[in-house]
Amino acid sequence: MFKAVTNNIVFFINGFTLTLELAILGIIGGIILGALLGLGRISKNKFVYYFVSVYINILRSIPLILVIFWFYFFMPIISGRSFTPFFSATISFIIFESAYFAEIFRSGYQSISKDLVSAALSTGMKHTQIARYILIPIAFKRMLPSLVTQAIITFQDTSLAFVIGLREFVRSASIVDNIEVRSIQIYGFVAIVFFIFCFSGSKIATYFETANKKTGLS
Amino acid sequence: MITITDVCKWYGKPEVLKNINVTIERNQTVVICGPSGSGKSTLLRCINGIEKYQKGEIIVNGISLNDPKTDLYKLRRNIGMVFQHFALYPHMTALQNICIAPIKVLNWSKHKAEKEAMVFLEQVGMGSNAQAHPAELSGGQQQRVAIGRALIMKPQIVLFDEPTSALDPEAIKGILDIMISLAKSGMTIVCVTHEMGFAKEVADNIIFIDKGEIIEQGAYEEFFINTKTDRAKDFLKQIL
Repeated sequence: MFKAVTNNIVFFINGFTLTLELAILGIIGGIILGALLGLGRISKNKFVYYFVSVYINILRSIPLILVIFWFYFFMPIISGRSFTPFFSATISFIIFESAYFAEIFRSGYQSISKDLVSAALSTGMKHTQIARYILIPIAFKRMLPSLVTQAIITFQDTSLAFVIGLREFVRSASIVDNIEVRSIQIYGFVAIVFFIFCFSGSKIATYFETANKKTGLS
Repeated sequence: MITITDVCKWYGKPEVLKNINVTIERNQTVVICGPSGSGKSTLLRCINGIEKYQKGEIIVNGISLNDPKTDLYKLRRNIGMVFQHFALYPHMTALQNICIAPIKVLNWSKHKAEKEAMVFLEQVGMGSNAQAHPAELSGGQQQRVAIGRALIMKPQIVLFDEPTSALDPEAIKGILDIMISLAKSGMTIVCVTHEMGFAKEVADNIIFIDKGEIIEQGAYEEFFINTKTDRAKDFLKQIL
């Protein structure tokens, strides 16, 4: 059993490492950019608000695979230099996922009482300080369950990076399958690995949800 | 110390504030009362520039809020504020709630801020709750922390927005006692409240607002015993 997998385990591990790298960079970048874009969505500055809203709505209306394609093929034309597929994919993920993280952060910010901002202002804090020390940490903690869920989706999304030739986990599996022709075994293995990671992720989300209830953050 | 001249505010019609004129001297305690939705809290929030107004002028400590050159952030360091629902930062401990502003705004060391915060917490009997999060504290305890958060900035003025309205009777007394001793220590206080016992004890001036207008103002005796307007009389009948 699983001989086709064990014989090629190093190859699989390399693919999985690439998937993990893409996912981690995409999630961290997406969360940071998303937290800032989310602030734009509650901004009173009309220019910032509309700019950010257009960005988010466009990205949420097109499939990720297109973002990856467009970035990979058009950015070199616009910027005049070429990017590695890994760099392109990572930036595409950050751009794409940030739109989703932004909406999660926006609802997190909106759940924060206006009095909290007034209170912080009344102690002399500036808006940038309020965002950094009050709004973002509270929204982050409060929205952690949703953020973890979106992180799981990002993790699954990384398999689309194969379209620009990246040999991530699923792509590695299909290469192995072409040689070994053991589809059920190989893709079964891939499914199990994804399941273990994503299921643990959703358990973590549930854990944060319960923890938040205890500290009055939810 | 605070001069409010002909201040009007509107979101559309009707006006939220109509031709408000108030002068508050240094060390005075002023109580603002009136029915809900009358514009009391809005007026309070105009004093530290958290709410904007469309007409008139507010001068605090000789600085005009209208002046575009006025650094509102800096001005607000001198004006503390306490809220009805405490508005503590839920992700921080009581101690962190108090210390964040002096550390980030006044660049105090963490050590100095915590030392001062602990002195205050001990004073109000909350030394053992320093590491508790707001959700673990009672309303009265949360309001004590909120007062500490305002006072650590060493403000010259403290604005109270119905500080006891969300508290149970027992907790109300504790908070009022803190406010009374603050008033007696010479702090300039502007307080929206219906606690007429507090008004009687420390208020130099009581302002009655209805539908965005000042209907009546005066010292305790003048306002309670020689009430001039029917609207104020009706209101007093309801709350006393």
